[in-house]
Amino acid sequence: MKPTYLYRLMIWVGIAVLLIWSLGPIYWTIASSFTPTDDFSVRPIHFFPQHLTFDHYARLLGINIARIGGVEVFKQFRAALVNSVVTSVAATFLCVAISALGAYAFTRLEFPGRKVLFVLVVATLAIPAYAVLIPLYQIMINLHLVDTYVGVALIYVSAFLPLSLWLLRSVFEALPIALEEAAQLDGAGRLYIFFNIVLQLAGPGLTAAAILTFLGAWGQYLVPLIFSPQATKPLTVLIPEFVTKNFVDYGLITASGSIAIIIPALVVIFLNRYLVSGLLAGSVK
Amino acid sequence: MASVSVTNARKSYGNFEVLHGVDIDIQDGEFVILVGPSGCGKSTLLRMIAGLEDISAGGISIGSRLVNNVPPKERDIAMVFQSYALYPHLTVEANMGFSLKLAKASKEEITRRVREAAQILGLEHLLQRYPRNLSGGQRQRVAMGRAIVRNPQVFLFDEPLSNLDAQLRVQMRSEIKQLHQRLKTTTIYVTHDQVEAMTMADKIVVMRDGFVEQIGAPLDLYDRPANLFVASFIGSPGMNLIRGEICTTGPLTFIAEGGFELPLPPEATVTHGAKVVYGIRPEHITIGQGSVSTQVVLIEPTGAETQVTTKVGPQQLIVTVRDRVDIHSGDPIAIAPDVSKLHLFDKATGKRLT
Ligand SMILES: Nc1ncnc2c1ncn2[C@@H]1O[C@H](COP(=O)(O)OP(=O)(O)O)[C@@H](O)[C@H]1O
Ligand SMILES: [Mg+2]
Repeated sequence: MKPTYLYRLMIWVGIAVLLIWSLGPIYWTIASSFTPTDDFSVRPIHFFPQHLTFDHYARLLGINIARIGGVEVFKQFRAALVNSVVTSVAATFLCVAISALGAYAFTRLEFPGRKVLFVLVVATLAIPAYAVLIPLYQIMINLHLVDTYVGVALIYVSAFLPLSLWLLRSVFEALPIALEEAAQLDGAGRLYIFFNIVLQLAGPGLTAAAILTFLGAWGQYLVPLIFSPQATKPLTVLIPEFVTKNFVDYGLITASGSIAIIIPALVVIFLNRYLVSGLLAGSVK
Repeated sequence: MASVSVTNARKSYGNFEVLHGVDIDIQDGEFVILVGPSGCGKSTLLRMIAGLEDISAGGISIGSRLVNNVPPKERDIAMVFQSYALYPHLTVEANMGFSLKLAKASKEEITRRVREAAQILGLEHLLQRYPRNLSGGQRQRVAMGRAIVRNPQVFLFDEPLSNLDAQLRVQMRSEIKQLHQRLKTTTIYVTHDQVEAMTMADKIVVMRDGFVEQIGAPLDLYDRPANLFVASFIGSPGMNLIRGEICTTGPLTFIAEGGFELPLPPEATVTHGAKVVYGIRPEHITIGQGSVSTQVVLIEPTGAETQVTTKVGPQQLIVTVRDRVDIHSGDPIAIAPDVSKLHLFDKATGKRLT
């Protein structure tokens, strides 16, 4: 059947709405980041910036020195960027490593309570972060982990582990067990099989878990607001601070926001190539 | 090389017993085939020998060693899986050398032994390829290569040819057999295909529903099936099996359920009135003369021989003839079973009577 004109129109309208919905705010952020500060108060607002400036980026990157509350903006920004990267990367590595081992155990090892334990771990996904924030804060204070990389990364790991575990278990379950049995007969032990067969073939799954964890950690606001007040403050917490009592620095907010968007986008683009499936082709019919 | 003995082996999954006490003795260097319909427990038994499934009861020995509690990698066996199970991220060479690498063999030795095996199987030009770039038959060969390289005590094969097309299957059948004649390694081979079993095995183990029905050389099973199951399972086209009973008085004859009579050999040791199954292979019936009048239903020439399906009362009988015959479906035709090749089974137990 040839799609009717109306049908095609509906599809195009749908696509357009989706694009505007998801790309609109990103466009607005990036466009604003090139708008001179004075233009923000001009009415009516324009869809395309009337003048272009790199001033906001210059301030962020330390080409022009600007200060907020006596601290140079670019130093704050640089520190927050490093903090965001360090905590997100650390959380991603830890989370993927731990959940890979855990998911493999849940898939292939027989131990009592295996099913119950798995359900319990995954069920923690349903617990909202704010419900555990206060007790968690007390724990972290006692462990002296507030405002440390280790503390924040561990919280992220505990938050994203269940999802990653769940994802990787279904990835491992889909791997043909005959491969592992063949390796067993060839003389390989459990860990050798895990590292040299299973992980080699689970690349796309591991990548997906890494992307999910990285994006989740990168976008955290509530947790670092409480657990990373100073030394480990990430971008998400820093950016709103560009709103001061007398002045909302839209330029700085949108410029730093743009950079905060670009980094995860680059990570996803880079990892995307490992998401390709078809690695198993030819091993088992 | 080693002998393998399975003694009263049982396997249960929970309360569900799938092997009910299996006894098999396999001589050093023998090529043994486990055959039976799908789900009868062949793979389970093979995997128990490999150590991939534990043994619920009974014992399995390789050589003189009881291996019930020996982990797979210490059993010195190699297995070829139905799915081939090649490591997709490794080249053919690395696939074949995987076990030697794990055994910490030197690089030179690994290379030498992989080349040797590759040469035997004609894989030399494929060593640098990845499994995804091989055809089904080549993958099958690599899977065998991986087993050969190890020079194990026992080869285990689980339906290795079932993913190949018919022509390749026939070719690989003879290659595997030749390989065995060359290496003389004890081999246990699982298949559901009785033709494969007949053509390749030194000894066939016929299984059904977790029991061993009969063990013997291919032609022994063909000539003297121990029971109705083996009689119907071995041979293609299958043995004609006709239910009925021995006449109650007078000279011994067989009266089929459809009411017609079939001849018995004079020396038959059956009692009057016994309920039996009369078995005769298609090639042991001659057509054109004889005491049984039938009607031709179907003619299927295969070239070398012709398969004629005839009908007596409600019963169909298949006859194979070597000569070209000029008959047509619907024709009446007389047939004569060769009573010296007759098989009689007890109808109640299915056991062979003579
Ligand atoms: N892991 C398992 N759990 C429960 N039942 C099983 C399992 N593996 C096999 N079985 C059962 O055992 C029987 C024999 O299986 P299998 O040995 O694979 O048969 P075959 O190889 O002869 O086709 C089948 O009825 C099958 O359903
Ligand atoms: Mg099977």
